[in-house]
Amino acid sequence: MSAEGRHARRLTDRGTDSSTDGNEPRPDDGREDAEYERFLRPYAVDVGTAEAVPPTTAGTTGPADLDLLALVMAARTPGRHEWLRPERETILNHALRARTVAELAAEVGLPVGQVRVMVAEMVADGSLQRCGPSRPLGRQDILHAVLVGLRSL
Amino acid sequence: MASADSENRPGTQEAIPQAVKIIVAGGFGAGKTTMVASVSEITPLSTEEVMTEASQGVDDLGGVENKTTTTVALDFGRITINDDIVLYLFGTPGQDRFWFMWDELVEGALGAVVLADTRRLDTCFHAVDFFERRGVPFVVAVNRFEGAAVYETEEVREALDVSAGVPVVMADARERESSKEVLVALVTHIIDSRRPAMSG
Ligand SMILES: Nc1nc2c(ncn2[C@@H]2O[C@H](COP(=O)(O)OP(=O)(O)OP(=O)(O)O)[C@@H](O)[C@H]2O)c(=O)[nH]1
Ligand SMILES: [Mg+2]
Repeated sequence: MSAEGRHARRLTDRGTDSSTDGNEPRPDDGREDAEYERFLRPYAVDVGTAEAVPPTTAGTTGPADLDLLALVMAARTPGRHEWLRPERETILNHALRARTVAELAAEVGLPVGQVRVMVAEMVADGSLQRCGPSRPLGRQDILHAVLVGLRSL
Repeated sequence: MASADSENRPGTQEAIPQAVKIIVAGGFGAGKTTMVASVSEITPLSTEEVMTEASQGVDDLGGVENKTTTTVALDFGRITINDDIVLYLFGTPGQDRFWFMWDELVEGALGAVVLADTRRLDTCFHAVDFFERRGVPFVVAVNRFEGAAVYETEEVREALDVSAGVPVVMADARERESSKEVLVALVTHIIDSRRPAMSG
């Protein structure tokens, strides 16, 4: 396929954006439809995501502030609070060291969105504390360290 | 130094590393999970993301009705770089319908690997487009599957229409050494493309 191909494809996709509402059946052309969808989504969903984000009170941590790599650490050991709330106990036990939200979600086996809400509540009630890196590094330093680290794997 | 029993107490002041990430993208079945697994120090973890109502509305354009939630599996692996940095590798969801997750995934990422499957090169066009548009630095790793036509890296570059500055490398996602080389190529590329031109 020529270099022009991908751009032509891209332009066609943009074109369909305004000319179809997506409900028209397109027999024999599932691929075209799929391409259309793929191009639509990154734009269309931006809006949805923004709307889905609950407003956060200044100074507190809401689920929306917790990205996949947000770090939290247990501020206390599991106790009566976790009675019949095994996910929270799991989170506290797993967060003895700083952990990312993604790791905690994997550990408790619940969707990230749900774990975000749980973690935000636990930060609010003081069970967990958010933490940042002990030695924050600039992007260039990070990149060079990552390169050295990868090479020595 | 911390006292002997402080290790297992919550809130112990132990150095907290910075978490950084690289995205492994590509079409369905291109080898994303395989690559994450081959370099990760842990068995790749999996988390799920549930599609929200808002996203669902968009998805309905495709004619899928009466569905309220869909879960998407996200795989990720981890590489401890040193005491200060932990690198996470996130594989993108393979299914096309989960594009909406890419926005969050690439947020703050150092860069991305686009796995090109030589049996169906076109399946990674979208990833290439996405990263170009977002200005996310990336490399293309050509995964050679048995029985697939053999391409030179330049042929792949031309087919994908990526600029000359973007590295295109051969890879075997199943091999740790090969996956490691791909990541090294990516980070080298990010460093080089960020360095201001000195000669001139
Ligand atoms: N020959 C060859 N096979 C590979 C390579 N990488 C992956 N595979 C095989 O391809 C199949 C799919 O690999 P996955 O890693 O699951 O692909 P994926 O991109 O994560 O797939 P989805 O998440 O479903 O989109 C597996 O059977 C792998 O063993 C490669 O570099 N060369
Ligand atoms: Mg996979």
